[in-house]
Amino acid sequence: MSDSLSAPQPAGLTGLSGRALLRLVMPTLFAAVLLFFALKAPGFLTVGNLSSLLLNNFVLLAIVAIGMTYAIAAGGIDLSVGTALDFSALTFVLLLNAGFGLYVAIPGGLLAGSLAGLFNAGLIAGLRISPFLATLGTLFIGSNVQKLLSDGGQPIYLEAQVRSGLASERLLGVPLPLLLVALLALVYGVVLARGRLGREIIVLGSQPLVARYSGLAQRRIAALVFIASAFASALAGILLPATVNAYAPMSGNAFLMNAIGAVFIGATLSLHNRVNVPGTLLGVLFLNVTANGLLLIGWNFFWQQVATGVLILSVLLFSFASRRLGAG
Amino acid sequence: MPMPLLSDAFHPRFAQWLLRRGALLAFAAILLAFALSAPNFLTPSNLVNVLAQSAILGSLAFGLTTVIIGGGSNVVSGGLDLSLAANLGLSAAVYASLNNAGFGDVVSIAATLGTGLAIGTLNALVVVGFRLPPLLATLATMNLVAGLELVLTENTVLPSTSPLLEGLAFGSWLGVPALAWVLLAVGGVLIVLMQYTPFGLRLYAIGEYPEAANAAGLSVRGYVFASYLISGLCGSLAAFCSAAWFSGSTTGSGEMLLSVVAIAFLGVIFSQRLQPSIGGTLLATMLVGVLINGFQLLNISSFWVDGVQGVLILLVVALSGLRNKEA
Repeated sequence: MSDSLSAPQPAGLTGLSGRALLRLVMPTLFAAVLLFFALKAPGFLTVGNLSSLLLNNFVLLAIVAIGMTYAIAAGGIDLSVGTALDFSALTFVLLLNAGFGLYVAIPGGLLAGSLAGLFNAGLIAGLRISPFLATLGTLFIGSNVQKLLSDGGQPIYLEAQVRSGLASERLLGVPLPLLLVALLALVYGVVLARGRLGREIIVLGSQPLVARYSGLAQRRIAALVFIASAFASALAGILLPATVNAYAPMSGNAFLMNAIGAVFIGATLSLHNRVNVPGTLLGVLFLNVTANGLLLIGWNFFWQQVATGVLILSVLLFSFASRRLGAG
Repeated sequence: MPMPLLSDAFHPRFAQWLLRRGALLAFAAILLAFALSAPNFLTPSNLVNVLAQSAILGSLAFGLTTVIIGGGSNVVSGGLDLSLAANLGLSAAVYASLNNAGFGDVVSIAATLGTGLAIGTLNALVVVGFRLPPLLATLATMNLVAGLELVLTENTVLPSTSPLLEGLAFGSWLGVPALAWVLLAVGGVLIVLMQYTPFGLRLYAIGEYPEAANAAGLSVRGYVFASYLISGLCGSLAAFCSAAWFSGSTTGSGEMLLSVVAIAFLGVIFSQRLQPSIGGTLLATMLVGVLINGFQLLNISSFWVDGVQGVLILLVVALSGLRNKEA
């Protein structure tokens, strides 16, 4: 876990006021994008559009990105979030189709997804393989398993009589998926920002040598981090088939790049350029809003990809440049 | 970065022997197993076909290896180029569209190579100029390049033929298909460049001991910049192979990325000193090619290739203790 994504932090010149100023750039950019689309994109600021954006685009990516936040906070990365998501979705669909109820299918899915995390934890904490290569290996093995179980990548549909409508359930008028995101964000966010484990994760991620010499149980922390990441993805793996009524092999990988992007966008929002859960959620929202707005002003899906690429690149450039300028 | 050759868990001499020779022994065992079980495996024509089929992945993996040599093999802070597969996709699309639009060979080929070089330059600027970790930088350029490919092709296959593509796809010399020659030629040139020229030796020095290289007066940033240019160029060379193999540009080239990463890191075990090397990568490419081919001949589902690659890479890294610098 000594590989750290945090940039070296040379002494800053600008001091606290400069840092505070830099910190304002991202929110300003976010506000500007929102304002631009509110004015320019027809139908952007309608309840229908915004709620569909939240429910259809935000929820799944947010859940995966919250898990990714832990992996990156600890100085690693989790390339196998898609594997955990897919395993969970596959198990959920198979259990429901086999006639088990939700009370079996949901824990079953969560367990299957978390197994990917347990496997990562064994590789990273047990065999001390770097998170990048370990999760890459898990990704390969995971896609092998899925291809074998799905006849080379055929979707498995939920049979009509077991479709639960779970994803359109509401509690006190709030859609269940949004409540789940809120709950997950609350638990993961509070633990990372206020909990003992959170502090240990951040030390391990930003100052691996300090973590080592102060005798932190690095392996235990790393194992917990990757299980936590996989558990979040497993939750998304329950919601995805509950929404589209099918398991599509290897569909989880689609979230990988955007989840990483969102975490780093989120980091630019924090005073110390630290990854954090609320920032990640804003990062996800930023990506969603941009894609949705571009769509509404008539850009097709292909140009949205380019724009997203440019956006993530500029945010990263900004984040790392400001860290060098403003880091103290 | 200095890396211990051994993990403490193994008896040093046995582990050393196993690590240095084990990879080749395992490769030989796999060859033997296929030779015994699949009757057509050990025919010259099948073996050169394996080489030809490996040309696309191999060229990409050479590019990645070059970047890893120059940046060091630490996955996060060292060299990495995740944009290679997207580079292939865009370069092939550029070639196919220009060729189909009636531009001559010179223009199409130059533009294709230019595309690869431009992507390499962008990566180099972001990594060397802005000092972004290569993992993140090339992840972002990968998105950008893949988006440009989508814009250009609207996510469709662009069929294309030209004498160049036909020559690559169907030509052969001394009984060896043209694509196999491309793989060997690109590999050969890069082996010479990396192992036998001052450039290559300095690139190794910079990758392993950047501070020492800097103190010795080497332009660390210049060499790293060059390594990303070479990688970009490899992407467009692979694009020619891919365009020849599929008779045009195809969609979904991004799916090759993880195989390329796996091959480049597998290549490390084929090197005597457990370092990234072009020769090692060539062997790893052939190993993966042999696995795919052998599985086909034995009628084993190709799905298993993924899993075997995954297990191999984990095995390699765990055994070599490559990442245990501080453990």
